[in-house]
Amino acid sequence: MAKVAVVGAGMTKFVRRAQETGRELSWQAAKMALDSAGLTLKDVDAVVIGSAPDAFDGVHMKGEYLADGSGAWRKPCIRNFVGGATGVFAPIQGWYHIASGQFDTVLVVCEEKMSSCHPHPQGAFITIFDHTTERPLGPNLLWIFALEMNRYMTVHGITKEEIALVAVKNKKNALDHPCAQLGEELTVEDVLNSEVLAWPVNRLDVSPASDGAAAVVMCAEHVAKRVSDKPVWVEGVGWHLDTAYWTNRDLYYPRYVEYAARMAYEMAGIKEPRKEIHIVEPYDPFDYKELHHLEGLLLCERGGAARLTADGVTQRDGDLPVCPSGGLLGVGNPIAAAGLMKVCELFWQLRGEAGKRQVPGTPRRGLAQAWGDLMQVGTVIILGR
Amino acid sequence: MREKLTNPEHVRTWPGSIPVEYVYTAGVAGEAYLRAIKERGRLAASACLGCGTKYLPPRLYCERCFEKTGEPRDVEARGTVETFTVAHRDLEGRQLEPPVVYAFVRIDGTAGGLVHRLGEVDPGDVHIGLEVEAVFLPPAQRTGSILDIAHFRPVRHRPAAT
Ligand SMILES: [Zn+2]
Repeated sequence: MAKVAVVGAGMTKFVRRAQETGRELSWQAAKMALDSAGLTLKDVDAVVIGSAPDAFDGVHMKGEYLADGSGAWRKPCIRNFVGGATGVFAPIQGWYHIASGQFDTVLVVCEEKMSSCHPHPQGAFITIFDHTTERPLGPNLLWIFALEMNRYMTVHGITKEEIALVAVKNKKNALDHPCAQLGEELTVEDVLNSEVLAWPVNRLDVSPASDGAAAVVMCAEHVAKRVSDKPVWVEGVGWHLDTAYWTNRDLYYPRYVEYAARMAYEMAGIKEPRKEIHIVEPYDPFDYKELHHLEGLLLCERGGAARLTADGVTQRDGDLPVCPSGGLLGVGNPIAAAGLMKVCELFWQLRGEAGKRQVPGTPRRGLAQAWGDLMQVGTVIILGR
Repeated sequence: MREKLTNPEHVRTWPGSIPVEYVYTAGVAGEAYLRAIKERGRLAASACLGCGTKYLPPRLYCERCFEKTGEPRDVEARGTVETFTVAHRDLEGRQLEPPVVYAFVRIDGTAGGLVHRLGEVDPGDVHIGLEVEAVFLPPAQRTGSILDIAHFRPVRHRPAAT
């Protein structure tokens, strides 16, 4: 398979309510990514757009809507959507556009404008539940996380205090991110004392609703060597789906993440992930999800992620920095853009360009992961220099 | 079997809705467009700083070369009917009396234009190439919407050639 590199990255600020339209946000991120690679739209052969439900922006056929701001004028263009997992799936799709040999340079753009949805995007989430078996109960999205979090905590005997440490860490990391919406110095008590939304989920356990866009430029090896002195290579990709019936799986463990990770590790030739992955950006829309996903990624044993966090291993200066960006909890959560933000973070970290967020040492390999739909899609990408 | 469900009451069903409402921003360029309409009774266009393409409605960036565009500037709300249709039924299928003429109007001197209603003209007199101008609502009635334009009508008084 042809080698594929990431040679540029860009993103907008993540904010609660942007004046810019989704198209304008997409253009800002895409332009920044191209500029950072020293390329122009003329150099782009094809465009991949990632954006989660049309219901957030309130625009039907969002891929088409976002196309011009994503640089797709008179170019081959495709939009993908795998719920929250979209932001990491988009660069995977960019990868296979190039690995197939069909294109040399692909612009990958992810966008979400959740503020359009009133009074709150929760209104759009309600309808992701089955109309026959669940919607008559009037569920909201927080419930399913609460059910999963409770199951996870109970199976492993993990406390809310241990989980709150993740929110504290990520919101603190986000203080160093110029695009962050919710960087904050918090204590575990602040998290525990915040409003209970659906026990055991409190307000500060949850990422915010956000507007924003992110983009990367990907290209084939011969182009990468010409345009970049610091290409970051795609070493592995994986994606996987578990059953869509949550009554037919055990919520305590994210198998869909494990299967996606195994696919990516095999491609990257990684035998011992804990030793061979140096920074991780797992999907953290809720604080417990970071722990849950670290386990699914085989970066620790099941139930062991809380211990790693308590021991400081996952701090930016720890042995395995996790969400050095600040994650969704701190940087913000414009769904698809949040996933791609994690890939941008790996790009900047591996090139030593992460500024105040730079992890010490010279990380050689990083992993970003996202997860979506009704908790059953896992997407994983591994980048290395 | 070639049966199909013709009466949904024969099986267990229940009604549902997707209860979502939206508040859209016009965006950076869209804001300038709607302000020109509301505050000055004009249209606005922005030109690409790279290739010069003049966008109407204005845009923040150029889709062709990806450069930023210049500040939106007012343009005369006048142009040419590039194509049109005469609608005889509304969304619910009811007869429209009188029928409504919808046209795509290419605005003079720009690479763009807008779809709007034509008024003050008999549908039978509308033709491709017809020169038209916007009729704005009185300033006090404008809200900052494309509906601040009541319709486009044929240009009656062409300025004398010089
Ligand atoms: Zn241009």
